[in-house]
Amino acid sequence: MAAANQDTTRPQNTRAIMTFLREHSPFSSMDDTHLAHFAEHATLRFYADEDVVLSPEEGVVKRFYIVKQGRIRGERHNEKEDRAETTFEISQGECFPLAALIGERPTRTLHRASGDTFCLSIEQKAFITLFSESEPFRDFCLRGVSSLLDQVNQRIQSRAMASIGSSNSLDTPLERYALRNPIVCSPDLPVHKAVARMHENNVGSIIITDDNRHPTGIFTLRDLRTMIAEEKGPLDTPIRQVMTKDPCRLPATADAFEAAMLMAEHHFAHLCVVDDDDLLIGVVSERDLFSLQRVDLVNLARTIGTATHLRTLVSLRTDVSRLVDSMLAHGADSGQVVKIITTLNDVTVRRVLELNLKKSDPGIPFTWLTFGSEGRQEQTLLTDQDNGILFETPDGMTEDQVREKLLPFARKVNDELAECGFTLCKGNIMASNPKLCLSVAEWDDWFIRFIDASTPQNLVYSSIFLDMRAVFGPTESLHRLLERVLERIRKNALFQKMLAGNALQRKPPLTMFRNFRYLNEEKKHVLDLKRQGLAPFVESVRVFALANGVENANTLERMEQLSKKGVFDAKDANAWKEAYSLIQAIRMRAHQEMLDKGEDLTNYIDPDDLNPLDRRILRESFRQAQRLQQKLEVTYQL
Amino acid sequence: MFEHIKQWLAQRRGGAIGDHDPGNLPTPKTVDDQSLSHCRLVVLDLETTGLNASKDEVIAIGAVAIEGGVIHLDDQFDLILRRPELDIRETVLIHGIGTEALTQGHETEDALLYLLEWMNGDPVLAYHSAFDQKFLEKTLRAQLGYTLPHVWMDVAELLPAFFPDSNTKGRGLDHWADFFRLDVSERHHAAADAMVTAELTLMALNKAQKIGVKTLKELAEKLHYQRRLKNMHRY
Repeated sequence: MAAANQDTTRPQNTRAIMTFLREHSPFSSMDDTHLAHFAEHATLRFYADEDVVLSPEEGVVKRFYIVKQGRIRGERHNEKEDRAETTFEISQGECFPLAALIGERPTRTLHRASGDTFCLSIEQKAFITLFSESEPFRDFCLRGVSSLLDQVNQRIQSRAMASIGSSNSLDTPLERYALRNPIVCSPDLPVHKAVARMHENNVGSIIITDDNRHPTGIFTLRDLRTMIAEEKGPLDTPIRQVMTKDPCRLPATADAFEAAMLMAEHHFAHLCVVDDDDLLIGVVSERDLFSLQRVDLVNLARTIGTATHLRTLVSLRTDVSRLVDSMLAHGADSGQVVKIITTLNDVTVRRVLELNLKKSDPGIPFTWLTFGSEGRQEQTLLTDQDNGILFETPDGMTEDQVREKLLPFARKVNDELAECGFTLCKGNIMASNPKLCLSVAEWDDWFIRFIDASTPQNLVYSSIFLDMRAVFGPTESLHRLLERVLERIRKNALFQKMLAGNALQRKPPLTMFRNFRYLNEEKKHVLDLKRQGLAPFVESVRVFALANGVENANTLERMEQLSKKGVFDAKDANAWKEAYSLIQAIRMRAHQEMLDKGEDLTNYIDPDDLNPLDRRILRESFRQAQRLQQKLEVTYQL
Repeated sequence: MFEHIKQWLAQRRGGAIGDHDPGNLPTPKTVDDQSLSHCRLVVLDLETTGLNASKDEVIAIGAVAIEGGVIHLDDQFDLILRRPELDIRETVLIHGIGTEALTQGHETEDALLYLLEWMNGDPVLAYHSAFDQKFLEKTLRAQLGYTLPHVWMDVAELLPAFFPDSNTKGRGLDHWADFFRLDVSERHHAAADAMVTAELTLMALNKAQKIGVKTLKELAEKLHYQRRLKNMHRY
């Protein structure tokens, strides 16, 4: 009652301003008395489009502003090109000018209204009162806007973190892990002596090195178990006969994430860490990486990779989802998590193929291809099958004869993958489709037609077939195929321009007023994070990547490569990578929530369901997508 | 401002009329060469029991002040009147002042005196101002015998005068608010409506400044011209 009473004692307009403030950081964490102080001391000002709000000439900044409606643009003069450049944008609920106000100096940037804009503002005196009395407000002002991204990351991580409580981050370089001084031995040592040495040191592995301390093999307790169980030899066998030769190794500068991925892919629990000269520095184990067993990536990958029944594979899919939760909690960013999901999906696909080969081998070697998001290694929990087959036609056989053998096999694999949760592709982009089960020559022809005789119609398929990767089988012929495709695209300016035009079809969902543009009239408050949010990035980046000979299909890696090649400005590339990752992160969190509630997974979200901070992040990320598309427009003069 | 009201209430509780000397209320200002970017303007909205000025009554008054082209939230007026003859309780509920005030109750007369003092004789703007003007003047006359005319301006005329090409879907306050995507915190709450009217006024004043309409007089002339133009179009 007290609160209600309190509230009715304030004028309606004061209450309305407090309500507005509460929707935005840092006001959302401030006390009502402080919000009331702000509201009662505020003025409301209007600026028409292009009006100057604040300028360096006005001298020391005396007011604190928050955008109530509209946008403010920071403008800096570019000396070289003699034109104004937008350096930042401030939209609804955001504050300015923090640095200048706190530093008691004039602003260094011209602040200009962009569209009809209303700002609430308080004088220095009220600002100082709030600054000294409200801790959240003070923190916010001192840390400035840069803390915004920290907050998002913190929030993503804190979701499942509560029950885990680990500070390990997968970004940590391996050298920062407490690498145990590796237990080593020479190749001739008998197994029982090596095991005794492991026992003395209480470790699960021993590295076999040559005279120069280069690692030549590894022997683990698991190997010992296999050796005894399968009666591979007496315990005085020299260790070199039973060790795993040429152990996996990483430089000390690699990060924990790379180590985890390598382990997951090959099902190892130990990796050698070496220096630049391949000299052994230490060993890192799965346990070291994930101090808690809940994040059991390697074990999960191993279980999937050795499952003997489809049933087991199906049941393991729920573990994948649980793993994603833990990964987010452990500080993996969305880029890492999609890669993990892709890796686990790859392992599943491979296992389904292997199990089927055991049952009925069609007898013809083939490469299993994946396209689209799986090709880009950007799968989330919501995924459907986009796959195909590439084969070398054996002598004495026609391509159709090969297909006759491969297609029934592929059909079985497609169906079993569907049982594992990879939805059948509605567009029939699947290996069991005769049009996608092709020989090297046929694929080559296919791409020639695709590139040289392109129509707007088949450009729709660019997002599928131009992001291609082999998951199973020999990769050499695919590599050569891709080289020819890239070469053709690089030479074909018209095709590039058509691709660019196609990439501009999907606009980021922002209106002219920087509000969210919703999907359609029927779905009034719905955004499609995949089609409206991620696709503008994926498609624009693909055009630049193909035009500049970047072979990688992963969007983040493509941006990295484009930045290295100087096609993207490094700062832009970082902003775009960040924006793309943040949309992806919001999408994945939405997926996890849908899963928790037992709902079907979709890519739709209502921005009103997001907290104000995420809404702001989303808006800024979409703005970055617009910038990227603008670069495409300029490059291809569209 | 709240301090003022509190003081005023304290005085009222003491039983004295205090500063409100009905014979010495502010004299309304006339249309002159006041600079629009400096003068104080009152933007007001009334809630009434109905549309008929001869029998309906004012039940709430909301107003904000624009000064120097800026809305000052420490200079606003937000009162709900419960007129004795309209309500079984012999009270005037005054919102936005304090719980004490709520329980004490005050005469309509006092609220109106306070309003007059707060208005300070400054020009009054309202959306469809003829309506508010009729009701307020009637009430002031009936309760206080106050008959001095304030300068009134109609924001419903002001907007089309400065934004002639705006394709609003109608001529109501909501239409303009929608057109400029303004939020109304609580529609048909006098203070909230006054606020959105004031926001629209700020936009018009910004435009006025740019096309060289700098004084109150020039603004009145512009509106006068606009009215004549509209009348001519009728024939």
